[in-house]
Parts: sequence; structure tokens; C-alpha cells
Amino acid sequence: MLLYKAWIETRVRFASGLIAVAIVCIFQIEQHAWLVAMWAREWADPKGYHFSWMPLGIHEYGWYLWHYLYDNYLQQVWALFAILFAFGGLIRERSGGTVLFSLGLPVSRRRWLFSRLAVALLESIALSMFAIVVVVIGSAIIHQTFSLQQMLLHTALMIAAGVFLIAFGNLCYTLFPGNYLSLVLTLVLLGAPYLWLQTYMQHMRYLGRSTWLGYFDFAHAMAGPWQLNWSSAPWLTLLLTWTLTAALLAVTVVHGDRIDY
Amino acid sequence: MTAVIETESLKKTYGKHEAVRGLNLCVEAGSVCAFLGQNGAGKSSTIKMLLGMIHPTSGTGRVLGHRIDKESESLLIRQNVAFVAEDKRLYDYMTVAQIVRFTKSFFPGWKRDLEQRLLAQFELPLDRKVRQLSKGMRTKLTLLLGFARGCELLILDEPTEGLDPVAIEDVLQIVVSLAAQGTTVFFSSHQIAEVEQVADHVLMIDRGQLVLDAPMDQVKEEYRHIHAVFPEPVEERDLRLPGVEKVQTEGRTVSLTASHNVDSIVAHVRMLRARSVDVLPVSLKEIFLEKVRARG
Repeated sequence: MLLYKAWIETRVRFASGLIAVAIVCIFQIEQHAWLVAMWAREWADPKGYHFSWMPLGIHEYGWYLWHYLYDNYLQQVWALFAILFAFGGLIRERSGGTVLFSLGLPVSRRRWLFSRLAVALLESIALSMFAIVVVVIGSAIIHQTFSLQQMLLHTALMIAAGVFLIAFGNLCYTLFPGNYLSLVLTLVLLGAPYLWLQTYMQHMRYLGRSTWLGYFDFAHAMAGPWQLNWSSAPWLTLLLTWTLTAALLAVTVVHGDRIDY
Repeated sequence: MTAVIETESLKKTYGKHEAVRGLNLCVEAGSVCAFLGQNGAGKSSTIKMLLGMIHPTSGTGRVLGHRIDKESESLLIRQNVAFVAEDKRLYDYMTVAQIVRFTKSFFPGWKRDLEQRLLAQFELPLDRKVRQLSKGMRTKLTLLLGFARGCELLILDEPTEGLDPVAIEDVLQIVVSLAAQGTTVFFSSHQIAEVEQVADHVLMIDRGQLVLDAPMDQVKEEYRHIHAVFPEPVEERDLRLPGVEKVQTEGRTVSLTASHNVDSIVAHVRMLRARSVDVLPVSLKEIFLEKVRARG
């Protein structure tokens, strides 16, 4: 029943997420032919732009999907909605006035927390699976083929690393005051460095440079290399992410147990 | 009798404000215990501490034998306690049927017959969303969700607030009927007439401290106003006797409020040569006001 409650509370957000993901995927698939033609022209032109990734972009549809979806827009939309799905909980219920009813039920605060996070995670997984369905159908329409296995692996990596965002967002909701103010603060606190680092590090990679900021490029960790397999998977990053996620959850639990309602 | 609620030196402070100051409570099984106090007296803070919603600053307490300051035991408390909060807000996105089904799922002893009876009695529309209910209807729904839990202890914080007189009467009847079936009822209220109607024990709290803890019968039988008229003005100190709670003198007229020992007090007043002595009953409301004002 707690899962049911969490689902009712987030189903509008989930439906919005499906629409957003569909728009991003369809837009990128629709743009493929036009972008490939432009890159081919640039590559053929001695005075045009010559980036090292261009041959991949022109000839590998799988790379195109990875770059635009898993290394950029799909990941961003997914991350945004994963954070939104985690928004809620007893602190928010206090603002809404229902917290005493909830706490009057024989349910521990931890169970309230983890049931809500479980639904947020399941919805995030469903959202990424829906993206695969859209890409499969869209690619068939534009007569392009790609490795479904690679897409599934990238989805798995995005989710595996993305749990950190859910845990971090949830801790922020618990710590920050106000109702929607806490959501805005969380999105700014998480979103601003995430997007800035993603853009900056992509630019540095195009230039073939590396910087210590790369260690904090969480977006790249979520995307992984475009040819993902057992040996190329960023295991160390994942291990670090999971450790941090566990630590964030532990802090949330301890803090949550101490709150007076 | 077994105590279902016990607290010992229970204290809660918010910053510098002491909401509850060393409260020692005892509520016996099977009783209907009223918990009276002004706004901000510490009633809601006490109830929230009993249910693990806020943490005591110091002191201890037990509900149904489980410690209130341990999260794991607090869960056991809430399995056997039906709580209706003062702020009767429910999940407004659920329908009446959904929230009944949701709440029912947590209580194995749910009284389906009572649920059906109250749904009909309160005329609650099953398919209507909580947000579309009036304040009175929402209060009725909240009470239904509390009453039907089939718990051995019912804690109600201002249960009749926002209800019309007919609904109040219905609710009080249900409280009496649940008590008759063995449910212990602990309720806070500002409606002293209701308290007199259903409670068999009264606890009065003022500024976080207990100022009255007595069975209702004792309060009704032993509390008395004693009006006396003397030939000459008397000193207030001459009337400070065991059992005298309050003394008011106005010229030759003296008004006493006694909590016990009335016969001895009357004998003493007569000994001071009072011309006339009248002994009158005291209402709970008067006791409440005097307790609160005496500490003001």
C-alpha cells in the first residue's frame, strides 16, 4: 500500500517524464539524417570543421545514439525526472498537513523513506526502458540499425550510476526548508554543477585535453564509453557512486529518525 | 488496573520554550480519560511524544508497555493505538474508498462492520476525493479511520472540532460504545461539556505541568464552592485549610473553592461565625478556569 501511495503521488510526474523522454528521443532520431549530412559536408570540406568524432558520427548510428541520448539529452532528462520522482516524503507531508496521519500508521520512518525511493527507482527504470522502446521504433522508421545490447548496457549504467542522484536529491529534500523551495534548491544544487561539468568536460575531450575536474564529471560516468562491455565499464566509478549513495541514504535515515513532527 | 499510558518526568523543549515540563501521567486500561488544557498547554506535544512523532528532551514513558523513546517500540505502539490528530488532513488526492482501503491494510483487527455503519451514518461518498469534502466531512472520515482500526487504545486530539452538534453527539456515542467494548480512550478537548459527558477520568495540564489528575466522579463529588457571609471582614489566611484551592474575599463575603475536605472546611467556616454558608457544586469548566487562572 505504501508503494501504491507513492505511485499515486508521482504518477503525473511519471507521465510527464514519458512525454519528455519521447520528445527527446524522437527529436534526435528525426535529426539524424540532417546532422550526418552536415558532418559529411564539413568533413569533406578542407576548410570545414574537423573533429575526431566526426567519422564515428557519420558512419556509426550506435555512436550517434550514445552521444546524443546517453551522453547528453536523454541522460539529462532522465536525471531531472529521477530527482523529481524522489521528491516527497514526510517532510513534505508536514507542509501539507498529512504527516500526523501518516506517522499515526504502524509504519517506520525508514519504511516510508525506502518505499518512496523504491517507487522513484522503479519509475526511473521504466522511463529508461520506455526510451529504448521509442528508439527501437524510431530507428526502424528511419531504417537505421544499432546494437540493442549496447543500448541496454548504457541504460543499465545510467541507472546504476543515477541512483546517486536519487539519494542526493532525497537528502536535499530532507534538509532544505519549505516545500517547493527545497525542490528548486535541490535542482539548482545538483543540476548546475552537473550540467556545467558535462558541457565543459565534453569540450575538453573534443580538444583532447584532460583536467582534474574530470574526476567529478558524473554525467560522463553515467554515459560510460560508447562501446560498453564488461571490461570497459567504469567499475571504480560505480563502486564509488554506490558507496556515496549508501552514505547519503544512511545520513538521510539518521537525520530522518531525529526529526520532530 | 493496568496502566496503558505512563510517563515519568516527561519533558519537551523547543529551543528555550518548555512545552512539557516534567509530566507524570497515568491512564488506566478501560478508562475514558480526558486531557484538558489551554492552547499551547502541551497537550499535542505530549500526545506526539507518546506516539514517537517527536522525541522527549528528557524523561521516559510507556504506552501499552512499550517505551515511547525507541523507534522500534514506537512501531509496536502504533500497531495497537488508533490516533486521530488535531489537524484532520488526509491525502487529498485519494478518494474516500481509496483512503479507507489504504488505512485498513495496516490494521489486521479492522472493524469492517463499524466502517460500513459509519460510512452510512456519516453519509460519506465513497467515490469523492478527500479534497472535495467539506471540513466536517473530512473530520468524520478521519474519525472513521481511527474508530475502525480495532485498536485497544484510542488517542483523539480534539476529535469533535469542526463538527455540528448532531455529529458531535454521534461521535461521543461511538466513543462511549467503544469504551464499553474495552477500548481505552485518551482524548484532548476544549469542549468541557463533552468531557463531562463521556470521560471517567480527567487530566488537566497547564504550561506543560499536570494540575489535576482525578476520576470524574471524584471531581463532581468533591469539588465544591463554599460561599460564606461573615459579620465582619475575615483574613484570607484564616481560610487557608487543607483542600482549599482558592479563596476570594469581598468585604464580609468569602468564596472558597475546595477540592476535598469540604465538611471540615464548612465546620471551620461556621466556627469563624459565618452568618450564612452555602455549599454549591462546581462545574468542570469552573475548575478548569480556576486551575488555569490560579497559575496565571
